[in-house]
Amino acid sequence: MVLVVSLLALLPLITLVQGALFNGGGQHLGLGWDGPSQVLGTLQLVLGEGVVGALLGTSIGWLTATCRFRGRRWFRIAQLVPMAFPAYLLAASLVDWGSYRGIQIHGLGWAVALLSLANYSYVFLLSTESFSMSGSRLLEASRCLGVGPWASFFRIALPIALPSIGAGVALSAMEVVNELGAVRLLGVPSLSAGILDRWQVDGDPQGAALLALVALAIVAVLIVSERLLRRRSRRWNLDGESGAGPMWDLKGWRAGLAQLLCGLPPLAAIAIPALWIQQGWQGLQAEPLDELLQLAGRSLALAFAATGVTCAGALLLAICRRWIPQAAMQQLTFVAGLGYAIPGSVLALGLMVFGGPLMLSPVLLLLWGYGDRFMAVAKQGLDASLERIPPSIDETAASLGCSWLEVLQRVHLPLLRGPLLVGSLLVFVDVVKELPITLALRAFDFDTLAVRVFQYASDERVGAAMGPALLIMVLGLAASLALIPSLERRG
Amino acid sequence: MINTNRLRNGARAAAIALGLFSITGILGMAQAQNRPQEVNVFSGRHYNTDKELYAEFTRRTGIKVNLLEGKDDELIQRLKSEGRNSKADLLVLVDAARLYRAQEDNLFRPIRSAELNKDVPANLRDPGGRWFALTRRARPVMVNTAQVNPNLIRTYADLTRPELKGKLCLRNRASVYSQSLVADELVRRGAPSTRRWVEGLVANRKGSFYTSDTTMVRAVGQGQCGATIANQYYLARMLRGDNAADREAAKKVRVVWPNPTHVNVTAGGVTQSSRNPEGARRLLEFLASPTSGEGYAAANNEYPLKGWGNNPTLKAFGTFKSSPVSMEQLGRRNREAVQLMTQAGWQ
Repeated sequence: MVLVVSLLALLPLITLVQGALFNGGGQHLGLGWDGPSQVLGTLQLVLGEGVVGALLGTSIGWLTATCRFRGRRWFRIAQLVPMAFPAYLLAASLVDWGSYRGIQIHGLGWAVALLSLANYSYVFLLSTESFSMSGSRLLEASRCLGVGPWASFFRIALPIALPSIGAGVALSAMEVVNELGAVRLLGVPSLSAGILDRWQVDGDPQGAALLALVALAIVAVLIVSERLLRRRSRRWNLDGESGAGPMWDLKGWRAGLAQLLCGLPPLAAIAIPALWIQQGWQGLQAEPLDELLQLAGRSLALAFAATGVTCAGALLLAICRRWIPQAAMQQLTFVAGLGYAIPGSVLALGLMVFGGPLMLSPVLLLLWGYGDRFMAVAKQGLDASLERIPPSIDETAASLGCSWLEVLQRVHLPLLRGPLLVGSLLVFVDVVKELPITLALRAFDFDTLAVRVFQYASDERVGAAMGPALLIMVLGLAASLALIPSLERRG
Repeated sequence: MINTNRLRNGARAAAIALGLFSITGILGMAQAQNRPQEVNVFSGRHYNTDKELYAEFTRRTGIKVNLLEGKDDELIQRLKSEGRNSKADLLVLVDAARLYRAQEDNLFRPIRSAELNKDVPANLRDPGGRWFALTRRARPVMVNTAQVNPNLIRTYADLTRPELKGKLCLRNRASVYSQSLVADELVRRGAPSTRRWVEGLVANRKGSFYTSDTTMVRAVGQGQCGATIANQYYLARMLRGDNAADREAAKKVRVVWPNPTHVNVTAGGVTQSSRNPEGARRLLEFLASPTSGEGYAAANNEYPLKGWGNNPTLKAFGTFKSSPVSMEQLGRRNREAVQLMTQAGWQ
């Protein structure tokens, strides 16, 4: 089973590499004119976003999980807002809004800021879960022993949360490696754009595959370092679910500072599109309502189906990785998650090359693509949570005569409910926002919201793009808000 | 245990719902599969008015038009990957460079049509009958008269004059519009003087390279830039649009026609893989005919294949002398143009 899932995940990539290496013309191998600047651009983006995103996500995660200040619950919920807005939409609206004000929004600094804003929620979600769940007994103990909040954070909570933070940073960094629309708009050279241009514009699949390998290497480094971190700080959580509330009261300027830090990012994420809409609402050209509903219906249906497929696959891989301790299995499940790192358009090409001759239905190919691409999103959280469940629980259940299916149903699924829900909602939001795979693989007369926004935006018709863009944000927000109960339970 | 049961039931319900969703989706797809007397169009254009034209075609001929709109490069790649299995009958692309690329990849099938030869001027179609232009667009200079004297500019070469130092805003190299403009110069003036020209432009520029024409034209209207080179329809769109701030900015922009002016096209061709080449040809003839061609051009404030059309905004811009360079030559010199721009520091 694992083999099948992994193989399905790997097939497009294998097809591509094979096609690139063996069918390519006799063109020279090399990074080409723009290659070095594209590699550098992507590295700078990953580093910049990694640092800013980790700082933002972790500090907000800590503050809202363990400190008490006015509006804490609302601030916690508000962190889900930025997730609803795709980076390309934030970039497009900010560039457009800026141009009315005579500000040219351009370059690396803006790109890092926007990508951090769009992606820090990954770090927040995973770290806050760890802060509020796994360490509360230890934190209480340390508090009794007179350890202050800062020392508690650095000496106890942070090491425990490190795997989750690492998983969050790795996820957001992969998102950055993959980002295409925003970095193009902001004029930052990047590997994702380079791969596409080498492939489609220069007609040089070998060159594109080479750049894609560089991108893969960057992501592999990210994943491996995250694993090393995790291995170093492997600790089982013996508390089970503990509902201990926040422990430190913040008053006066400290509370103000906490509110500012927790309030600014969500506010910025809402303000950018809101300002843009306020600026351009006169030009809003409403698409016929039935057309909009049709687009939204397709986006929704695809997102639901893809979420189901992806989460089932991720659960299977995560569980097998836990139960079958062979090295080959570990590698296999690791590699199956790599799809997240492959630019969506490259993945789509692989699927096209592979699925075209077999006459596979476009919807099937689309779901395959989504599953491949977002498997890691669902799996990262599951892996991190499984690591916190002591193996003795499995062993106990098995010794009491439970079959593996029963252990899964009666032990793991209830324990994994949280991460599974978080994972599926993340996948859902990602699919609604997803562009390159949908654009490349959809059938005739089968546009989705994201596709329509992209088409209008690439024609520079901002007014026409506004309607579907708003709907994407509404859908994303609705899905993000569905995460509230799981946050609340822990908060 | 209660928890587990609830979870199990929930999971079951969710699974059924997901299954239903995917099945309806797939059934929906099956319905959209090919039937005889349909033409499948891959198009790099995205205008709702196009759909009205296609509907008109269906009313007249009974041939249904299925549409897949996308980005030009992506559509070319998709057609290449799908090969003979591709369902596309007609490929509509924007810009000569992409037409040439599709032609080199052997995606078009040569067709003969007396009607197309009559309606499409010779320099706007492939001599081999593989593709035919449907609309024209021009890339003039646009100036803010408060900052730059429009009389200084008679050709694109004048944009390198010292008076424009630090006043010129430029579109980035990744834009195919910039590439084709440089290719046009390459054909007309040769590599050495084009290289000097590109270096002069880069030296005169203000700020970073822009990633969209609209923000560039807006910057000229606001006085951030003195001059720029942009496609005429972006300015026309701002002038005719509903946004008051844009209209105000656009009114301050003056179109200056260099002699000659770089012209590019939207064009279409019947695909190699087409299973209904006859229907595709008829659709192409319909789109290129003077009456519907006018509609196709009007959707985006573009020029029809012959003459200047009836668009009042475009008429107010005045007329120009088109560059004699053919679309095929533009495509052929594209790669060289990009290389030259890269070396000259055009980002």
